[in-house]
Amino acid sequence: MMSVLTGKKKSNIVKDWRQQPKSIEKFQFVHHFLPHPEQQKRATLLSNRAIVIYCLAMLLIAGVFRFLPKVVPGVLGYASDITVKDLLTYTNARRKDAGLSELRLNSALTSAAHQKAEDMFKDQYWAHISPDGTEPWDFILGQNYDYIYAGENLAKNFSNSKDVVEAWMKSTSHKENLLSPNYDEIGFAVVNGVIEGYETTLVVQMFGRPRNAAQVASVYEEQTVLEKEATAAVSERVELPATEGTSESLQQPVYTQALPENPALDVTVATKTVSAVFGGFVGTLLALDVWYSKRKGIHKFTGHTVAHLGILVLVVASIWFVLTPGIVL
Amino acid sequence: MKEKTDTHLVEYAVLLSLAAIISLLFYYFRYDHRVLIFLSGVASFGYVLWGIIHHAVEGRLTKFIAAEYAVFGVLIFFLLYTVLSF
Repeated sequence: MMSVLTGKKKSNIVKDWRQQPKSIEKFQFVHHFLPHPEQQKRATLLSNRAIVIYCLAMLLIAGVFRFLPKVVPGVLGYASDITVKDLLTYTNARRKDAGLSELRLNSALTSAAHQKAEDMFKDQYWAHISPDGTEPWDFILGQNYDYIYAGENLAKNFSNSKDVVEAWMKSTSHKENLLSPNYDEIGFAVVNGVIEGYETTLVVQMFGRPRNAAQVASVYEEQTVLEKEATAAVSERVELPATEGTSESLQQPVYTQALPENPALDVTVATKTVSAVFGGFVGTLLALDVWYSKRKGIHKFTGHTVAHLGILVLVVASIWFVLTPGIVL
Repeated sequence: MKEKTDTHLVEYAVLLSLAAIISLLFYYFRYDHRVLIFLSGVASFGYVLWGIIHHAVEGRLTKFIAAEYAVFGVLIFFLLYTVLSF
């Protein structure tokens, strides 16, 4: 059975319907989400004013994420799963691909890297040269590592070892260090701590070629360093007992590797979620707009909804699948 | 009518090409947040410009439509900036 409304009947229905306040409320509520057939407009929640409000809300949330670590340090941070073994494997794999010799893990360079990381946490800086002018070479020389060539790469806020090495490879100056034929040895530090209020993991990579070629770390020494890193207690500093005849520079603490330490709120997940929620909400309303307008034959005098939707889908997909946290220096 | 459809297709092809180029650049520079923030700005501005030119060519450009593209451009930028600034 089919019923066709004539123009007069239809206008009577509309008239009756308009006299019922509850129906009007329902109509108004529905059109927060669906386009208006009569006004030929998008849903109220897709109006220009609503979009401006979403932008301001995102700005406010980003402001809270900036302000919160200053009030409660460490509550926000970057979760990570970075290990020295993986960093060494990926670094040497890259060198092997470039036809270069593999680097051997050296205990003195490892200690120097740990000291550098601890110094950055202690003095709250993120740079190759500390605020008091200490250079990377000072940490290396402090470990009695006499070198011909030396270099340093830094990274922070990364979630895994592969991304750290990939990020260094994407940067010309870091890549030069990573693929330099002038180095024989390497040292890593992966240390957790709070910097600028955010719980994070700093990665320090130090390269060197000892003046005396006979001093290049042996396979045994490399294994010892790796085992020490693997079995180390979480973020503990183990002080070497001072032995007779040991110079002060040799009494530097041996830092152990920090195991993954997750903050209360992972800032990467939090910001991605905020963007996905707002982008997803607007995207859903745009998709509803396309579907409902087509179904009801609504012709609106607006911009192209499909274009907005397409761009939004691309942006949200990029945020989830392309953007990775982390900065190299 | 056919001419209008052709123009429409060309304009959408331009938008798709720009989106593809920006996506590739995004992937290439995925570890450099400063470049990505710059690219986000370029992409947002490009989209606003595309919308305005597209509607001007169609003869349907109004202040309201221009404002709509502007706020969508800002929204796109903020969606990316919220993630990239941390």
